Amino acid sequence: MISRLRALWNSVFRGKLLDRDLDEELQAYLELSSAEKIRDGMSPEEAYRDARRDMGGVEQVIQKVRDVSAGAWLDRLVQDLRYGVRTLAKNPTFTVVAMATLALGIGANTAMFSLLDQVVLRLLPVSHPEQLVIVQETGNHYGNSYGPNTISWPMFEDLRDNNQIFSGMFCRFPATVTIGDGDRAAQIPAELVSGSYFPVLGVGTPLGRPIAPDDDAVPDSKPVVVLSYSFWRSYFDGDRTIVGRTIDLNGHAMTVIGVAQPGFDGVELGAPAKVFVPIMMKTEMTPHSDGLKNRPRRLSWVTAYGRLKPGVSPQQAELSLQPLLHGILEMEAQQPEFTRNTTAADRQLFLRNRIKLLPGSDNELRGDMRRPLWLLVALTGAVLLLACANLGNLLLARATAREREFALRLAIGAGRARIVRQLLVESLLLAGGGAILGLALAFLADRILLRVYLPDDAAAAFVVSPIPDVRVLAFVIGVTLVTSLVFGLLPAIRGSRTEISLSLKDRSGALSAGGIFLRRMLVGIQVALSLLLLVGAGLFVRTLRNLQCLGPGFPTDHLLTFSINPSLNGYSDQETKSFYQRLNVNLQAMPGVASVGFSAMPLLKGYAWQNAVLGKDFEGAPIEEQPVLSEIGPDYFATIGIPVVAGRAFTSQDVGPAKYAVINESFARKYFPGRTPIGQRFGLVDEMNPVNPDIEVIGVVPDRKYRDIRETPPAQAYFPYFEGVHFRFMNIYLRTQVDPRQLEDAVLERMRQFDPHVPVVKLQTMDEQIGFSLRTERLVANLSAVFGGLATLIAVIGLYGVMAYVVMRRTREIGIRIALGALQTSVIAMIMREAFVIIGAGLLAGLLLALSLASLVRSQLFGLNPRDPLTFIGSAVVLTLAAGLAGFLPALRASGVDPTTALRHE
Amino acid sequence: MPAPQSDLLQGTLDLLVLKALTLQELHGMGISRRIAQITGRAFDVKPGSLFPALHRMEQAGWLTSFWGESETNRRAKFYKLTKAGKKQLHSESERWERISLAMATALRTT
Repeated sequence: MISRLRALWNSVFRGKLLDRDLDEELQAYLELSSAEKIRDGMSPEEAYRDARRDMGGVEQVIQKVRDVSAGAWLDRLVQDLRYGVRTLAKNPTFTVVAMATLALGIGANTAMFSLLDQVVLRLLPVSHPEQLVIVQETGNHYGNSYGPNTISWPMFEDLRDNNQIFSGMFCRFPATVTIGDGDRAAQIPAELVSGSYFPVLGVGTPLGRPIAPDDDAVPDSKPVVVLSYSFWRSYFDGDRTIVGRTIDLNGHAMTVIGVAQPGFDGVELGAPAKVFVPIMMKTEMTPHSDGLKNRPRRLSWVTAYGRLKPGVSPQQAELSLQPLLHGILEMEAQQPEFTRNTTAADRQLFLRNRIKLLPGSDNELRGDMRRPLWLLVALTGAVLLLACANLGNLLLARATAREREFALRLAIGAGRARIVRQLLVESLLLAGGGAILGLALAFLADRILLRVYLPDDAAAAFVVSPIPDVRVLAFVIGVTLVTSLVFGLLPAIRGSRTEISLSLKDRSGALSAGGIFLRRMLVGIQVALSLLLLVGAGLFVRTLRNLQCLGPGFPTDHLLTFSINPSLNGYSDQETKSFYQRLNVNLQAMPGVASVGFSAMPLLKGYAWQNAVLGKDFEGAPIEEQPVLSEIGPDYFATIGIPVVAGRAFTSQDVGPAKYAVINESFARKYFPGRTPIGQRFGLVDEMNPVNPDIEVIGVVPDRKYRDIRETPPAQAYFPYFEGVHFRFMNIYLRTQVDPRQLEDAVLERMRQFDPHVPVVKLQTMDEQIGFSLRTERLVANLSAVFGGLATLIAVIGLYGVMAYVVMRRTREIGIRIALGALQTSVIAMIMREAFVIIGAGLLAGLLLALSLASLVRSQLFGLNPRDPLTFIGSAVVLTLAAGLAGFLPALRASGVDPTTALRHE
Repeated sequence: MPAPQSDLLQGTLDLLVLKALTLQELHGMGISRRIAQITGRAFDVKPGSLFPALHRMEQAGWLTSFWGESETNRRAKFYKLTKAGKKQLHSESERWERISLAMATALRTT
């Protein structure tokens, strides 16, 4: 074994030396041989000549030895590579076109795949992330909930303390807190974590220490904080003396105890946390709600995670957790909080709730992005396939043109295998070049894509490394190998079948007909794929247009919005109320502002405050049927542009103990059918207390969208904000007289003067906000349009190439036809007929393909059917026109053939 | 009449080379000469087949080579059987005897 390796080493790296040795050895042989012949009586000259003749040439022998030596295949590969590079360099246009096509195909694929990888597939950067699961309770929770992945604090404690299946459990709650004071005040995302968070995740702290179970034992007891690495670098300039210092969070002095390991930004990928605080500090971090100290079981708010013991599958764990959950549910169903507002039927349903374990790296953002991103990966796959078909076509054309070369090589003794290998090496070279270009392209594209796709701060946290990770690299190498095999093999096999005598004899034979069927088929495939991509582009672009045209039902231009939360600065309810009242007056006086609307809940942000209502003849409802509620300031409707169709809106005079509401038409239809809504009364269901329906309806507004642009407006009720008891965050809407973007700086300055301690959050125009909410749709629409256009271009060029080849091959025939009196138009018709056979076959295949795949994208569409006839017909027409033009140019040239030259030519 | 080279099977040449080297180490010319001698001049191995075979067998680990001095006081490369080469010779000779016996039996049958 070792001697073989040494022989390989010698023959590869010491080839020159070996050749010299061999040369000397052969010289010795010659001398010995001729010496022998002299001894036998020959003259010295004769003997030497005879010896040389016996040997048959020193060079030839050396070559033969080289062929058997261990590194021969490597030698030949280098030879093939060198020859391949030379051939490619000799035909730069072909090489550039081929590599560019591939670079686009591979680049688009890689960019999409690495986006998918970064946004959807990547696991958390913790030890053994595959063992982490989110513990979800499915079914109706019968209470208030922060989302489907949350459970109540007592439920978490019960699961943590009684399960046998996890090596550890922790929980977290995302919150927004205000850091610092004065000019540096900012709102930052924080993660409230249980004491087991860092140990169970296995996340360390290069500086200081992590939050430990001790820090999280008694409410309000340990004001400590761990910083994320990137936040430590950006906000504190990487100050190594930070540990032990105190920082100001929501007006509370918190001691920094550590800096988390680089790359770890909390457990929600795409929503990086900047600070980690013990969950026992909840009251300080979220002054407006508790959920911890009085241990309410009907408020679910923490996301619970478990780490599976090694070798335990999520299915096993799920199964073993069900009895535990059932016991807890039985106990909860006895509690007055539960029984107060539920029936026996509700109880039955409630007891059927189950534990479901989700992969620990999942979150809602990812769930939303998964389908669109896979869709785009599929689209780029089609583009790559098309690029392959195009390249196969180019290589076939080249192989045809090179038939003489192959024939010559065959004639002087090259094996057919050698020619196949040569062609494969060439296509591998092309694919390799294309892949390297494509990687560069993908790297650039990904940086742009991530910025489009994620909010600014999240995009910054996604580090796109210039060195792609192993998975992406494996993907690229796989794609490259497959492509080069796919497009290289067909021409290679054809090339090796070249008939020597035929090809060398004369030129007319060289333009053999064999390749043309294959080439037509490849162009047909390209047309089919282009149609598929064009249809996709049409569907997605129209979906985006539908969404954009639809709008929320009120004018979105000249509308500026931001949010603030003075309660995070430690302001009391009374102080906050006064703050808002003074701010309302202050902003109304601002130049360029027409009116000011306050709303506790944001518009079109994808979420809402929902609560069951009850009245004389209706009561509670499951969450999907609960009305959407908000608390608003006096001029809200006027500012947003929603007319009041009956009764009146709130005024600043609506004070005092009376309870009023303005409802929308859906609310009126649903709860007061057939009655005049004004003067009707209802109440909000409350788990803790009995409720009187004592809120009086004073006005009705038309239905408008509230949570997002896609929704059908829900039943809605508004309450006057300044009458409430608790004052927290506020969303402020300014209807401006000028372009709202011009006012942004002035608003920031005015807010700073008004109160420098309260940071302004998410200042943007309504159009920008809606635009961002449609980013997935826009990304899909724009990229699919680009891919569709690209595909069409490639297919059209491919068709042109084939038709030009057809015309060239038939020049003589066309010449004869013209000489015999064929009209120009009939020649054009003849060629066009041939072109349309290809186009028609491609279109038909593409249509069938598109029709069968269309239903897969149904969930990504809005306002149109996945088999929308207009889109299908439109795409087919566009493609036919473009492809028709590509066929027409060679046809035109054919009709201009001069019969005498054509006939003399051959 | 020397047999044309192309009639030499690859295995035959290897076996002859191994056999030629059993008594002593030899250089290329020596091997050629020795093969002619032990086969009664039936085989005249030309350098075009001999040297590729020698290099192949060296890589297979059957032979080792070293530079020495020829009978004409010239620097020449000598080949020597290795242990693996001796084993190969042994098993190849057995195989060859079986084949030739079988061939002879086959040809005798009328």
